[in-house]
Parts: sequence; structure tokens; C-alpha cells
Amino acid sequence: MLSESLILATATDQPRMNPSLLLLLPLLLPLYGAVFCLLFWQRVRAQVFIAATAQLGWFVSAGLLLYEVSQTGFLTTQIGRWPAPFGITLVADLFSALILASASIVGIAVFLFSLQGLDSMRKKYGYFPLLLFLQLGVSGVCLTGDIFNLYVWFEVLLICCFALLALGGTRAQLEGTLKYVTINFFASGILLTGVGVVYSLYGSLNMAELAQVVRQPDHPNLPLLTLCSVFFLTGFGIKSAIFPLFFWLPASYHTPPIAISAFIAGLISKIGIYSLIRLFTLIFIPDAAFMQPLLLVLSALTMVIGVIGAAAQKDFRKILSFHIISQIGYMLMGLAIFTPLALAGSIYFIIHNILVKTNLFLVSGVVAQQHHTFSLKKLGGLYLKQPFLALLFFLSALALAGIPPLSGFWGKFMLAMGGFEAGNYGIVAVSLCVSLVTLFSMTKIWNEVFWKAKPPKSSKPAVAKAVSIRHPMLLYAPLVLLLVFILLISLYAQPVIALAQRAANQLLYTNSYIEAVLKK
Amino acid sequence: MRTIIFSTAIRLLTPVFLLFSVYILFRGHNHPGGGFIGGLIGSIAFVFHVLAHGANATARVFFSLTLYHYPRQAGHSRTRYFMQIMNANLRGRRKGYKENRWNYIFVRVRPVYIIAFGLLLAVTSGTIGLLAGQPYMAAFWMDVHLPVLGSLGTPLLFDAGVYLLVLGMVLKMIFTMSKE
Repeated sequence: MLSESLILATATDQPRMNPSLLLLLPLLLPLYGAVFCLLFWQRVRAQVFIAATAQLGWFVSAGLLLYEVSQTGFLTTQIGRWPAPFGITLVADLFSALILASASIVGIAVFLFSLQGLDSMRKKYGYFPLLLFLQLGVSGVCLTGDIFNLYVWFEVLLICCFALLALGGTRAQLEGTLKYVTINFFASGILLTGVGVVYSLYGSLNMAELAQVVRQPDHPNLPLLTLCSVFFLTGFGIKSAIFPLFFWLPASYHTPPIAISAFIAGLISKIGIYSLIRLFTLIFIPDAAFMQPLLLVLSALTMVIGVIGAAAQKDFRKILSFHIISQIGYMLMGLAIFTPLALAGSIYFIIHNILVKTNLFLVSGVVAQQHHTFSLKKLGGLYLKQPFLALLFFLSALALAGIPPLSGFWGKFMLAMGGFEAGNYGIVAVSLCVSLVTLFSMTKIWNEVFWKAKPPKSSKPAVAKAVSIRHPMLLYAPLVLLLVFILLISLYAQPVIALAQRAANQLLYTNSYIEAVLKK
Repeated sequence: MRTIIFSTAIRLLTPVFLLFSVYILFRGHNHPGGGFIGGLIGSIAFVFHVLAHGANATARVFFSLTLYHYPRQAGHSRTRYFMQIMNANLRGRRKGYKENRWNYIFVRVRPVYIIAFGLLLAVTSGTIGLLAGQPYMAAFWMDVHLPVLGSLGTPLLFDAGVYLLVLGMVLKMIFTMSKE
């Protein structure tokens, strides 16, 4: 704890904050938190205290980073004082700071939920250190400026996901984890191959230098750039569940307890999309002949298949899992259209989706806490019993479906505007139809879980295990927290949209990124 | 594998493995070696010990500490009391006047503590640079140059952290696997 407090003290004392300190804090705070949690192995109370400190610190440091980046544009640091193309670079721009900030909000909410909503055995056997290591991985992916380190951070994140998904070791969980591990190791292999190919063709792993190299018109290996980009599209496509390779997600995300699956479902696939957008705006610019049509088709199919899959499901969590896929399609749509407005729409949509999806998963967790099932058939009548919970679900579901003035509307509006401006009418039409079907799915949950009368009890044993809850009202705290942030970005959308637009401009005009990293 | 030749050989070889692993750790900065490979070599000693004597024996011999003490009697001199405590703790010879006089403190080092401490050391070695206003993991070297081992500095701390981390990981795996 001493070193943590020391860092915090120096951070607040200095009038102009040291950029390397600001960039390192979102990495160091979860890491120190996890290490101290390990030192207090099996002592849950101490771990809760440490994890709470680390979560708050992560939130504050992400907020500070966002503030500083919105003032200055870019922050960079070179780890170990080795200059840029050779050493390890950490770099933050508005896009990464925005994603990091929303991730830290979700982190706090899931942590609060786990206090009441997770059984004590899982807490005892390493839930908190794993969660913090996972957050370390998220920070690393967001802040790295090096393509190989991106791969390494992704591995950190995925290994924590494996462990978290399998934590507790029930039969369903292990089955889901096995699918997750198999397909994701395959994806990691493809990614690593891609990194190797890029290094052999262009001689660098630093993203800024790569961006510079691929913009030289006379580079001999330039025609092979699309080949490299396919490795990354496939690798990150699997990890973020884009159309042909999405099947692992609904097979594994509904198995672990909600305190685990809410964080993973809410955040991790969006981190894949984040990396995809980062690489495809900086290095592999989508060309109009091949990559842009491919991305458009992929995004349309991802949206449609996800939402159709959701319509067929009869389980609260499975519907939500399929909706993750369909919304990944929207995020990809901004990248496929590739105009500043559409990219800003994507960025806003990612932020909105991280918050809303986590909140919906947490709502399903609260429902399951009290009724011990996720099946739509067995649930019912919650509107009468828990009107406040119904309100929380109602607002989040409408935000997800994109009803104005809630946050999903602004994201979809910007994406549709971007599509119209670029003349891609087809994808806009698809996205609007998918949006309607999303509303249908949410209505289905609303009708089945909250509106209809509670069905008579069947003799079948409950699926979700009951966890003894000491303070049931505390379960609502994370939901309210997330809803406040959702309403904040819905009703005061203008500042967030302005930030997203600035972030999109930073992404598209890469010279400032290259200059900031290479200091030329 | 519990033969007398094997277990005797392991008794003699354990310090050799450990010394060599520390040597590898120190020379790692400018030569082949370093924390990772040092930790692996160091863990060989314990792996063999587990094979020869079982995981419980290894945990008892290397990773736990029992401190014996008893309240000083009124008639005993300070020197005699001190000698008895020394005898009990170093040579294991406890002469009990009454049966239940000796108390003990039992300290157990779990592999997860070694892992955590290694991580803490490695992370903090980088933080030193940060606190000095430099980038993270900026190296600081002392002016000392040791004859066999090389120079001392913060990268060595990082390597020592990695050494402990690897050692702890291997121990955790060995202990878990030998239980099944």
C-alpha cells in the first residue's frame, strides 16, 4: 500500500502531471492491487479492501488521463528510457482514454456487484486478483503503442478470462471455458503469425513507425499490406466475435456467475474491436477495392445473425450474449464506412455499449439472485414485485435498442448519418432493421420476465445457485451507478459526442500520432 | 523414486543448484542468463526434493519455519535461557522440564506468497524510475562492481522478482500435481 499512496501523493502534488506517471497509473494500480490481493491469499475481507482501493484508483487515474489527453491531445512515454522505434512505447490518445474511462466505470460496478452477488468460495479462490489482472490487461491493450505488446497484453487479458470463466469449476462452466480457450488460442496463433509477417515485411513493431512505413508510396512490400491485415482481421475478428467466427461467444458467456460474465461480456469483445479500429485506422487503411466492402459485408452479417440468434433464445443471459454479437456489427460498421462521423459513431457506440450491456447483465444477475433461474419461461411478475428493478431494466433496454433520447440512439444516429453521407444506403437500412429487431428482443424479455404473471412453480431444480445476501439493497448500487452514467451520456450527449468526434479525427489524421510517438 | 542413493544425492546437490541459479541470475544482465532461467534452475532443486521425499516433506523442510520459545524461569540466567532457545531452534534439541513448556510459532511460506512477492519486487523496481521523475523502468546502476556477479542496479531487482515469480510458479505446479 505504501508505494501506491506515494504514487498518488506525487500525482496530486505536481501542478503539471508527469506524462509517464499518468500513463503508468492505470497499469500500476490494478497490478499493485492484484499483487497485494495475492499476498492476502484466502483472506476475503483484506482482499475486498485492497480491490476497492485499486478500483477507485483505476477510475481516478483513467479520469485524470482522459482529462489530460483532452487538454493536450497525446501522451507518450518510453518505458526504460529507450527511444521510440526501439523501446516499448505507451501512448494515450482520446480514443484509448475514453475506452479506458468507461472500462473503469464498469470495473467499479462489477466490483460492487460481486460484494453481494458472488459466492464466498469463488472470492476465496482468487476472484479479486484475477479481476484486477484482467483490468491490467485491458489498460495494457488500450495504452500500448507497439504491435507485439498489443498481442502480449491481449494474452494477459485472455488468460485471466480463462481463469475467471473456469473459476468455481462447475460442469457447464468448464464446457464453456473449453470452447472459449480453444478458439481463442487459435486466434492468438493467427495474431502472432500476423505480427511476425508484419515484422518481416516492414521491419518494425512500433505502431507509429509502421504507420510511417506503410505511407511511403515506394516501399517494395506495400502490395502485401492487405495480406497482413487479413491476419489481424481474422485474429481480432474471432476475439471480438465478428460474423463467421462468433459461435464461441454465446456458448461460453452465459456459463459463469454474473459477477464474472458481466465484466467479460460487457468489456472484452469491445476491447477486440478497439484493437481492430486502432490497427485499421493507423496501419492497415481499408482500401475501397477489397477491405472496405469486406468490412461492410461482415458488419451487416454480424448485426443480422446476432439479432436473429437472439430472437430464437429463451434464456435471459443467452439473449443478451447474442445481442453482444449484433452490436459488435454496429461498431464494425463505423470502421467499414471510414468517415470521421461514422468512426465517431463507432467510438460513442462502444462507450455506450460497454455501460449498457454490463448493466443489463447485472440486472439479469439481480433477477437470478431472487428467482434462481435465467429461463424466461419460469420468470414472471417482477414488475409487481420489484418496480424499481423493472425501471432499471426498462431504461437500459431502451438505451440498448436505441430509443431517443437514450444513448443507443445517438450512436446509431451518428452511424446512420455517416452511412448516408458516404452513400452506403444498404448498410444503413440493415442497421435500422436490426435496431427494430433488437427492440423486439428487449420487449420479449420485458414481457416474459417483468410483465406476465408468475408461472406456477415447477418441480425442476433451480439452475442458478442461491447466494446468501446480507444487504440486498447493495445489489442495486452498481445498477444505479451504471444507469447514472448511461443517462449522463444520453442526456448530456453533446460533450461525449464532441470528444468522440475529436477522437475520430485523431484516428484518421495519423500524422499527429506519429509525431507524438516518434517526436519528429 | 525414494531410494537412498537418490535422496542422498539430492541432499548434496540442492545447494549446488541453488547457488548456480543465483549465479545465473546475477550474470544475466550482460550474458546469457537472468531471472527466468535462474528461477527454473533454482526450482530443479525443489522438484528433485519432491520426487525424493514427497511434497509435504519439501514444504516442511524448505518452506516452513517453526520457532520454539518458552517463558524464562525465575532462577535461570539470561545466558542459559538464550543457549536453550538457540539449541531448540538451531539443533532441534529441546530439553523440556515440563511437558508443555515449549511454545512455538509456525510460519509457512506458500508458493502464492513467493509469486506475489516476486511480482511486487519486479513492479516496484520499475516504479523507482517513475518516482525519480524518469520514465517507468528507467535503469539506475550503483558504482559497485562485484567480481563474479557483476553490477548492482534496479534491473537486477527486476530480475530477482522474475526469479521469485518463476520459482513460485513451478513450486505451485509441483505441489498441486504431486497431490493428485
